[in-house]
Amino acid sequence: MIEVENLSKTFKVYRHRKGFFGSFVNLFSRKHRIVHAVDSVSFSIQRGEVVGYLGPNGAGKSTTIKMLTGILVPTSGGVTVNGYIPHRQRKENAKHIGVVFGQRSHLWFDLPVQESFELLQRIYRIPQVQYNQNVEMFDALLNIGKFFRTPVRQLSLGQRMRADIAAALLHNPEVLFLDEPTIGLDVVAKARIREFIQQINTERQVTVVLTTHDLDDVEKLCKRVILIDKARLCFDGELVALRRLLSTERILSVDYAETYSDISIPKTNITYQEGNRVQYRFSPEEISTADLIGAILQKFKIVDISVQEPDIEELIKTVYEDNLTLEQKFAEADAIDLTNRKSMG
Amino acid sequence: MRSFYLTVNVYFAFVTKSFQKRMQYRVANLAGLTTNFFFLLVHIFVYTAFYAASTEPQPLSLNEIITYFVLCQVSFMLMPFFGARSEMTQAIKDGSVALQLTKPVDFHAYWFADECGRACYFLLMRGLPTFLISILFFQVTFPQHLTVLMAFVLSMTLAIFMSTAITITIFSSAFWTLDTSGVSGMSGSVIMLFSGMLVPIALWPEGLAQIAEWLPFAGLIDIPFSIYLSKITGVAIWTAVGKQMMWCLIFIGLGRLFLRRGFSRLVIQGG
Repeated sequence: MIEVENLSKTFKVYRHRKGFFGSFVNLFSRKHRIVHAVDSVSFSIQRGEVVGYLGPNGAGKSTTIKMLTGILVPTSGGVTVNGYIPHRQRKENAKHIGVVFGQRSHLWFDLPVQESFELLQRIYRIPQVQYNQNVEMFDALLNIGKFFRTPVRQLSLGQRMRADIAAALLHNPEVLFLDEPTIGLDVVAKARIREFIQQINTERQVTVVLTTHDLDDVEKLCKRVILIDKARLCFDGELVALRRLLSTERILSVDYAETYSDISIPKTNITYQEGNRVQYRFSPEEISTADLIGAILQKFKIVDISVQEPDIEELIKTVYEDNLTLEQKFAEADAIDLTNRKSMG
Repeated sequence: MRSFYLTVNVYFAFVTKSFQKRMQYRVANLAGLTTNFFFLLVHIFVYTAFYAASTEPQPLSLNEIITYFVLCQVSFMLMPFFGARSEMTQAIKDGSVALQLTKPVDFHAYWFADECGRACYFLLMRGLPTFLISILFFQVTFPQHLTVLMAFVLSMTLAIFMSTAITITIFSSAFWTLDTSGVSGMSGSVIMLFSGMLVPIALWPEGLAQIAEWLPFAGLIDIPFSIYLSKITGVAIWTAVGKQMMWCLIFIGLGRLFLRRGFSRLVIQGG
């Protein structure tokens, strides 16, 4: 569906000299430096996948998306989406993709939502039956009917976002690019949009590429994540694998039925204790979760037990802050990851 | 055939939507109307004074001059003067051009249609009222024959197309400079002068008039209004209209070329 090979994009950034005098010098001689926004990135995405494309600000996420959608011309490397080369066959490619940029609306600002939709119907040559079906479905799922006649500039951010996502799907695209679709939204609105994306993905087999800073989005939607940092790809694989790779420690919380004098378990540390509630920190490499729970059940009576995975926010922070160790970890885990991907398909 | 119809259908929709979105700003239009009359009055007073002071016969009568400047104000907003219309530049500047590029539309044709919608709006909502009010207060002359009127309508339409094509060409410089106020201001003054907006070319000294002949900009103002005033008649109409057509095509070609080159070096502002 999407093939990216050694994709690179460089920009020239002009350096401005400081101060009053410098601004005159700028007129006659300008120095620039080359900035690598995306540096030989390769990946391939299959039909029906939901992939989280993650990275810190300025990592090159949006630049990649813009090359996939035909807006930017790559400096080198190859891209195909649906078999089209986006920057050469921009219009053809555009017919088969849907794009949502969270920070910008692609609806006509001064027109009611409905008129934007009708305009899109004409642009994409959407048959009336399909148009009606889609509008009906999007209304059912996103409740857009309520503000269908309102000019876009009067919509709330949540409403605008819903309208934008619906608009991007009117022409039944095969691939949906979502660039921070939940930015600035409240919890309810976020949940609604996630549910919708999930449903569209399962019902229509729409391939979704999602960039976001909201890790709840990733946890709820993406099985696979691609991580880029400083323009380079630094992880591509299952979210679970990323988690496994980085999570050396987990927390087990137990509510005991009685008060015990000695509740220590070998190979774990107690990090928290209040009344009968105890939290153990353990490393799955030293003791598996199953063995640990088994050991506890053997000795004690419990009311409740739960294992907490570290959330990926923490994980990714580790990745960003600690590049070196990460690379080492990846080197170690490469073999595991390879077998994982083979088993995936 | 059906495909052609559907394509036209899309771009026609862009024209009407562009018209429609401007309908919402009524007060701005009223303010603009006042400005039009202010400049119309200035022109009329100046030329009335000139004509009163001159004893020599002039190529245009005072009534014709007044009619000429009424028409100038009627069409002022349709012309590529100064940065009056900068939505395209704005789109490039703030990066929203990115979203327009994700749609399967021809970018030049899209802006062409948008500009035509804008022209229709200003013709109807600004030009027509200006014309009607002017008829009440000034001695405006009318074409004597239906054929003259038809030739004028054709020539004026071409002038609007030309203006649109020039506008897009000028504003495509936004891909290189980001801020087009310099380019559009500079070119605006040149275009305004050589279109005949300030002084009808018939009143220009020989040599300068010759230069204006060779430049494309007379096709915006001087040619259509000279046809209206029957200063261009017979076969000369066809030559004049042919010249407009030629410049239209040249500017459309240039605009398309600039846009294509612009996109290949596009940097989306704001990530």
